[in-house]
Amino acid sequence: MTTVALPARPLVRGRNNLRLLAHQVRYEQLSFWRNPQSAIFTFVFPVLFVTILGALVGTSGKRASFGGLPILEYYIPTIAVMSVLGSCYGQLAVALAARRQNGILKRVRATPLPAWGYFGGLLAHCILVSFVDVALIVAVGRLYGVPLPTNWLAIIGTLALGAASFCSLGVAAASVISNADAAPAVAQIVMFPLLFLSGTYMPISSKWLTQITGWLPVRPFNEALTGPLSQHSGVGTHQLEVLALWGVVGIAVAVRRFRWDPRPE
Amino acid sequence: MHSKPITQNAIEVADLRKSYRASGGSGGSSSRANTVTAVRDVSFSMERGEIVALLGPNGAGKTTTLEILEGFRHRDGGTVRVLVMDPADRSVARELRERTGLVLQDIAVESYLTVRETIARQAGYYAAPRRVPEVIDLVGLDGLERRKVKGLSGGQKRRLDLALGLIGRPELLYLDEPTTGFDPSARHDAWDLVRDLRQTGTTILLTTHDMAEAEALADRVIVLADGVIVAQGQTATLGGQDAERARITFRLPADLTACDLPVAGSAVDGEFVIETSSPTEDLHQLTGWALRRSITLAGLTVDRPSLEDVYLRLTREGALADAQE
Repeated sequence: MTTVALPARPLVRGRNNLRLLAHQVRYEQLSFWRNPQSAIFTFVFPVLFVTILGALVGTSGKRASFGGLPILEYYIPTIAVMSVLGSCYGQLAVALAARRQNGILKRVRATPLPAWGYFGGLLAHCILVSFVDVALIVAVGRLYGVPLPTNWLAIIGTLALGAASFCSLGVAAASVISNADAAPAVAQIVMFPLLFLSGTYMPISSKWLTQITGWLPVRPFNEALTGPLSQHSGVGTHQLEVLALWGVVGIAVAVRRFRWDPRPE
Repeated sequence: MHSKPITQNAIEVADLRKSYRASGGSGGSSSRANTVTAVRDVSFSMERGEIVALLGPNGAGKTTTLEILEGFRHRDGGTVRVLVMDPADRSVARELRERTGLVLQDIAVESYLTVRETIARQAGYYAAPRRVPEVIDLVGLDGLERRKVKGLSGGQKRRLDLALGLIGRPELLYLDEPTTGFDPSARHDAWDLVRDLRQTGTTILLTTHDMAEAEALADRVIVLADGVIVAQGQTATLGGQDAERARITFRLPADLTACDLPVAGSAVDGEFVIETSSPTEDLHQLTGWALRRSITLAGLTVDRPSLEDVYLRLTREGALADAQE
């Protein structure tokens, strides 16, 4: 063991916030890509889904028969939303609950890293993952002859906003789940029915159901992404407003209930 | 070496109080009756550069006290100053975190980064961190820089924990049972590390169940039992009068009993014990008696009650006093 020196501490207060954020994103990414489980859940599952679907429908997939769209063009945006929901809401809630339970959040809280730095890093990381996810899904669709979308700006904007509000709901879920072991089940039990009712797996013909789910987070995201991804249209303003509203709800819950400490007060 | 005035204690705690709602309570309107007092009227201070051990049984209030100092819990009453700042004051939180480090009771490291990445990540949070290789060397993880955390042994993970507590170059370090799970040689390395840190002027508040650790490291110990301080002082003089007492132990041939002894003593499983505050005279009497009667005092030892003995007496008395309330 060598001896240690304690030189005078320079009082650096104004650090480069952007650099701090980049630092945080870098290590979130590193940690994510190294973990085979997270990579498989996030990328392999949706890609597999679209691949199998494309193989199943074959040429019949070219006819506009599914909610007014060819089957694959119906599914590419909904599967994209499903994967964003999985990584931004589901995995984030589970990861945060686990990190809290084993003391990692408490340790982060004990450092000078501000809360915005931690959550900003997570948000940027999740949005990046969502972009990769959607790019992969669109690429597989292309292999089956689905035309590439043209309005990339609308796609990027919609994705970023949707991913951000799902992230905020993920943090909110982690705030109300106190037991990390229960987190995956609680996250799933919310996600699965919501995906089903929002038309992710098949078009919904019930009017009243569509009306209700139109105010829940998944269906507006489906519609907002179907426009630029499959119909070459622009941004779905109303849908994005609903999504943003859910983002605000998530933030409100998280601000009131989020804990860094594994033990309740 | 220190230009700071001596009155600026590293930690200053006066009349600290904290109670929790009892677990299992539904949190109804009668919650006032269901509170559990975690700490009450706890007062102590620590000078800069001092190493103090916080001792006490599980549930005595050690962790609560630490967490209030660290800013994780709000106190119900009393004053607390850490590096002249109030940990409950959110406007100073960032500066306080910049200048303090902590090692939690449980190992808290992510599995998929390497040792060096884990430390480098933490270093990025501080304004003036130690260098990563320096810290790896300090905690004795050299050669394992590129090993993933999940491939480390429990003791190695604990050292990584320690590294994360040190990387920010803290003036004040909290160590919550730092060497639990260490093998004896790793434990001694960790003790050397703590002594090295003391050389640099780092103030250290540690909790431990290991009395040898407290004796080896701490300048002073504070003993908590049921939320109150039952004793505090230097390890050598803790427990007041009792520390002056000596204990003479030996074995006697089978035909002799405690009644035959020239001084009052007791026998436990064939082992005779004389507890005395005048060991010189009593030992003289005992050995004189044995010589005259040609008795061998097998396994004769004279020792003072260990810190552990004092600790056990103090914490039991605390529990008894509480039961009588």
